[in-house]
Amino acid sequence: MKNFLICGFISLCILTSCKEELPKEIRNFQDIEKSLLTEFILAEDGDTIEIDKGQFLFKRSLILDNKKNMVIRGKGIDQTILSFKGQEEGAEGIKITNCTNIVIENLTVEDAAGDNIKVMETEGITFRNVKVSWTGGPKTTNGAYGLYPVICKNVLIEKCIATGASDAGIYVGQSDHVVIRENKIYKNVAGIESENSKYVDIYNNEARDNTGGILVFDLPALTQYGNHVRVFNNKIIENNHRNFAPPGNIVAVTPAGTGILVLATEKVEIFNNQIINNKTAGTAIISYHLINAISTEEESENEKNKESERGTTQKINRKFEEDKNYNPYSRAIYIHDNQYENKYWLPSLKSDFGKLFVWKFGFNTPDIIVDGIEDPDGKHDDGTIKADYSFCFQNNGNATFANLDAGNDFKNLHQDMSKYDCSRPPIKAVQLNPYPNLEKDEKSVDEENIEIKI
Amino acid sequence: MIKNKRHHFFWFLAIAFILASCTSGNQPTEKETTEKPAIVKKSQRIKVSNYGNEKLSEYGFFTGKLSDLIPAKGVIPYELNTPLFSDYAFKKRFIRLPKEGNMVFNAKDPFDFPTGSILIKNFYYPTDFRKPQADRRIIETRLLILEKKGWKALAYVWNDEQTEAWLEVAGDNTDVTWTDFNGNLKKINYSVPTVTQCKSCHSKNNELMPIGPSARQLNKTITSGKAENQLIQWEKTGILSGLPEIQKVQKLAQWDDPKGGKIAERARALLDINCGHCHNENGPAKTSGLNLDIFENDLHKLGIRKPPIAAGRGSGGLKYAIVPGKPEESILYFRMKSNDPGIMMPEIGRKMVHEEGLELIKEWIKLMKN
Repeated sequence: MKNFLICGFISLCILTSCKEELPKEIRNFQDIEKSLLTEFILAEDGDTIEIDKGQFLFKRSLILDNKKNMVIRGKGIDQTILSFKGQEEGAEGIKITNCTNIVIENLTVEDAAGDNIKVMETEGITFRNVKVSWTGGPKTTNGAYGLYPVICKNVLIEKCIATGASDAGIYVGQSDHVVIRENKIYKNVAGIESENSKYVDIYNNEARDNTGGILVFDLPALTQYGNHVRVFNNKIIENNHRNFAPPGNIVAVTPAGTGILVLATEKVEIFNNQIINNKTAGTAIISYHLINAISTEEESENEKNKESERGTTQKINRKFEEDKNYNPYSRAIYIHDNQYENKYWLPSLKSDFGKLFVWKFGFNTPDIIVDGIEDPDGKHDDGTIKADYSFCFQNNGNATFANLDAGNDFKNLHQDMSKYDCSRPPIKAVQLNPYPNLEKDEKSVDEENIEIKI
Repeated sequence: MIKNKRHHFFWFLAIAFILASCTSGNQPTEKETTEKPAIVKKSQRIKVSNYGNEKLSEYGFFTGKLSDLIPAKGVIPYELNTPLFSDYAFKKRFIRLPKEGNMVFNAKDPFDFPTGSILIKNFYYPTDFRKPQADRRIIETRLLILEKKGWKALAYVWNDEQTEAWLEVAGDNTDVTWTDFNGNLKKINYSVPTVTQCKSCHSKNNELMPIGPSARQLNKTITSGKAENQLIQWEKTGILSGLPEIQKVQKLAQWDDPKGGKIAERARALLDINCGHCHNENGPAKTSGLNLDIFENDLHKLGIRKPPIAAGRGSGGLKYAIVPGKPEESILYFRMKSNDPGIMMPEIGRKMVHEEGLELIKEWIKLMKN
């Protein structure tokens, strides 16, 4: 019997250790680096670069610069694989800069040293049916972003798969008019991040097994600030993965078990989502002050033994307050008609929040959490909240709630959601103008068969 | 007993099976092959040769033996105070102006050039750095050509015989060995950039731009030929206009000359040329909020206790770009010290660590006070 138990135990161990390591895909690489680089360089406006089925290894980034109306197309996800494993030059796999109307579709990009696909200062960028991954599974040494449009306009990301990013699977930064739909995002630190972006629709996505499912936030001292973000019809499930982000980055403070996180931004509407089994917080709405306090606390703990350092961090962390255009509080947030479920008895105890929640809420981790740090400018003289600042939570089934009152050491922490029982005007849908223009006869055209005229 | 044995056997099999399935799943079976390219071209291509002259010799920059790099008439050599680090390559620089027109002085930006100007930069390695005039191997010649629609970057790769250099738009790699100043043998797989990589650095407001030929870099007494300040010389010969009194022209410190400036001045010069072309208000790295050009006076933007924005693992687990007095805790130092493409800065243009430059940055951060 003892033997039986030991054997059972051993095989269990083996099984679990096996589960941790993702089986590696078999790769048989071909070298087309020079010819594909040449294609990227010599392409003329209106060209389509077609890449055949196969597995291709690259030593340097593929850069597309200053081109118009181009399509880069493979033969399908996991059919055309561009691998940047062990790349020697450039941090990105594919980098697109200063272009207009670019479509990337039907291919896989893997294992870039930094971001798998970065697109900067481009108007009109579509990612369709693209997979971005780090094939070794979640690791701190993986690159930061899977798909990374930054300072772009008219961005469409659809039917993509993103996995393994040590920051975010899909990260849209400082961009305008963005649609992120029908993507599968799993095993990243953050699934989808909308940072400092305006007019963003995030819908019909599945974010599963990330540290945090969907993050909407603004960071200080950047080119623009975000607003008008809609998060709806998404499945945000089991985002309980341990946080494997390199410290020093904002996502490194995201607690494991976060469904949706809204940070220091305004005009966000979250509705019709299934937010299920995210251990720590189904939806959290917080201010930059809280993030700042966490980082500062960590720092002062590190520096307890270094007297000379004291006092300096506080001063500099307050730098964001000097950015006059930056508002560190979340404002005008509308959460309605979502389905919240959480089968877990306890939050993830890997973060301070998790520990705090156990302490405060026992086995009843709340679904919707606000930090309770309020903008003094957000109230009328009589103490009522200004319309531009109000939070409204309606029709979220049996969702539970907590206001942490984090600004006052949780003194007035309460779980009364009744004062948030209001509605806000719905945010308008984002209108895109994708290339090639599909709007005209969207219904009749089968997307597989679109012919691109050159 | 028999029953027990069976049990053992069963578990043995089970474990073996699990192990086997586990290992077979984990064994990457990667092998590299070099089969034929699998790209389908969708449209007619202009030939590479239409992009620029096929051969370097066609431009007529040099007289005599091509590899001697003796400038032809109208081809002007120039030097910079603190050049960009390019894996220890030596550089010989020239300008060829068109028949009409001259350079116009700018206080801050690189000078204005007339259409038709060509900047010529030859990258070479002496076999022994201690005898730079002896044997050398020229690897590539990069051209910046100003056309009506703007600057264009081209790279010409020298053949092994050193008789000609050929246009390569998609870059090239070649092994180079040399003996360094300390007598150590060094080896590198040198990388010639693609034309798009050129623009990764040579970019301002998304336009391709020269970086080196600015007043602060050119304000220098050159060592070859007559020992005279380049700018004064150029004004005399009429190829530069608008030069103010030389005392009023900014002068960048020479990073490796302790007599040429204080440590902070030399460190800022090094950052200016190696980082400032991207890390400025209008450069490709503006998304980072970190500005390292010589004109940045805001200590936060310069990185002092500035947290990263989207550095990913480039942060190295560190919190600030620069922590005064603590180079080892500074992301700036960490990224300059790295050779990992996902971490290192600059992102491209080097495969080796610039040890001497790094040492200077280390000293600079060490001496910084809170």
